[in-house]
Amino acid sequence: MKWNVRKWPQMLAIGAGGLTLAASVALPASAASTTNVNVVGYSVVGPALKAEEAAFQATPAGQSVKFTNSIGASDTETTNVVNGLPADVVNLSYYSNMATLVEANHVPASWASQENSIGGVNPRIFGKKAVTTYPTPGMVTDSTVVFIVRAGNPLGITNWSQLTGSGVQIVTPNPATSGSAKWNLVGAYAAWIATKHTPNQAQNFLKSILEHTVAQPVSGSAALSTFLAGTGNVLLDYEDDAIAAVKAGDKIQVVVPPQTLLIENPLALTYTGLQNPAAVAFYKFLFSVQGQNIFASLGYRSVLKSVWADTNTNFPEFQTKTKLLTVVDLSGYGWPTIDPEFFGSAVTFPKNDSTHPSAGIVTYLEQFAGQAS
Amino acid sequence: MRAHEDPRTYLAKGVAVGYLSLLVLIPMAALLNNAFSHGLGAFWDAATSTESLDAMKLTVTCSLFAAAFNAVAGTATAYVLVRDRFPGRGVLNAIIDLPFALPTVVAGVTFYTLYGPHSPFHVNITGTWVGITVAIMFVTLPFSVRAVQPVLESLTVDAEDAAATLGASSARVFRTVTLPAILPSLLTGTGLAFARALGEYGSVVFISNNLPYRSEVSSSYVYSLVSQGNDPGAAAVALFLLVGALAVLIASNVVARRLALRRG
Repeated sequence: MKWNVRKWPQMLAIGAGGLTLAASVALPASAASTTNVNVVGYSVVGPALKAEEAAFQATPAGQSVKFTNSIGASDTETTNVVNGLPADVVNLSYYSNMATLVEANHVPASWASQENSIGGVNPRIFGKKAVTTYPTPGMVTDSTVVFIVRAGNPLGITNWSQLTGSGVQIVTPNPATSGSAKWNLVGAYAAWIATKHTPNQAQNFLKSILEHTVAQPVSGSAALSTFLAGTGNVLLDYEDDAIAAVKAGDKIQVVVPPQTLLIENPLALTYTGLQNPAAVAFYKFLFSVQGQNIFASLGYRSVLKSVWADTNTNFPEFQTKTKLLTVVDLSGYGWPTIDPEFFGSAVTFPKNDSTHPSAGIVTYLEQFAGQAS
Repeated sequence: MRAHEDPRTYLAKGVAVGYLSLLVLIPMAALLNNAFSHGLGAFWDAATSTESLDAMKLTVTCSLFAAAFNAVAGTATAYVLVRDRFPGRGVLNAIIDLPFALPTVVAGVTFYTLYGPHSPFHVNITGTWVGITVAIMFVTLPFSVRAVQPVLESLTVDAEDAAATLGASSARVFRTVTLPAILPSLLTGTGLAFARALGEYGSVVFISNNLPYRSEVSSSYVYSLVSQGNDPGAAAVALFLLVGALAVLIASNVVARRLALRRG
């Protein structure tokens, strides 16, 4: 067969035309199928959501329910939903993603109260009667920022201050695309604040962390792959992802630093999800004891006090030794102020728009770390 | 009846233009509109921010190296495939196009395992411009080989044999007979490879380690801007790259055509 470059466009055109035709015939047929729930999740939660869906389908409410999943880096998935990706149930990495969806009119502003009104779980009850572990509404799972090191912990790393020692190479995802990355870097900052450092000292520590960073893959999952492929000697990661990786038999070890950040992952029904009884039932299921037990079995900290009481023995070292800070401890408003302060984009549109402040601390320091090397 | 009077020709033209509009022209217009949606100043700021420029320098450098290297290696490959007869030639000929078929992310992960920290060859090129260049070379190799191959096939061996009979060394035969004949298509292929390289994402994003200001390529920077909901910024950077790619494509085509004309 002879190869003619000039024929390729024609062949491509014919092929693409055929595909378009096939798609236009096939799509209406599949759209007609009943009770489909579109689930959007951040990269790391993918396997857990699939386990939840399988369990839900085994319950009476889930008999005829099908799921369509879109899993990826949290900020990317959020942008995709804003741009029209079908979504009924959204489980994202952190609060700001939901704020973006509220602004784009995909999720009601009162999404966090769905936990009580639909899930039947009221995080606002304090004291002995409290049903949740933390009073943050709308959060379906908790986790913490931990270190993953090579098996046997050859560098003997136990706390944050050792991460900036000579020879330490850190892998953490890119905060421009990954929610996990933001938790990790704010975690580093939080650890320094928790050990009686000033905000300035904490920022310098953050700079040092970035200078020791050798890879910033696009998502939490990509970061784990990069680390497992041999790059770096410390990976900053979600506790749940670390537990899953250890279970998968990878030659790694989890190190829980004495101070770290509490990660809280929000769940919401979108406007379309609220109209979809199957989506509402699945939302409810995720907050149920059964749903929370599945999360707990996969390394997530349950937000239900009862489930946490049963499963916390899976996380022995965390209860006694570790000081957990929340984003609200760092800033009274949590993510709405932390996000612009740390991760404000260096490039703003329109310029000097007060709603899009100029470069955040991390954005600025990245540049600095880049120039230093 | 002359061809352009045939109504079927008009239909064909209509389909071609309509098709091009749907697939290329309209999206490009939307991109332009998006890039300038906040004015020329905002476009310029986004396209020339430090992070953007650092990414562009890296991307252009690696793409140039990859295209140049593939021009040489691709021509050699095409030459061997056309001129030599050896067992497995058919298989080799078929697998040249595999980089087009393989999902680029898979290629990226494969390169990371082969030429990363756990390399069986003890070669670690991850996080370096060499790694990025190698990944791009893989993705763009078919352009270089397939551009040159048909010309080599149509080039009669007689001219080369005649030159050799007259006492020219094989290097001289290649320089004076073969190279001038394939040069126009070689240029076109190299231009295509370079343009394709500028936008490559999947195979590069892993091996580069994706460090902003250090090893982040333009396509990855664009991806991060899109993730942050900064569509105009992403469009601006993409447009900058597109203009570069277009300039190279036009230049290589013009030079290729002149060379072809000169040969008659």
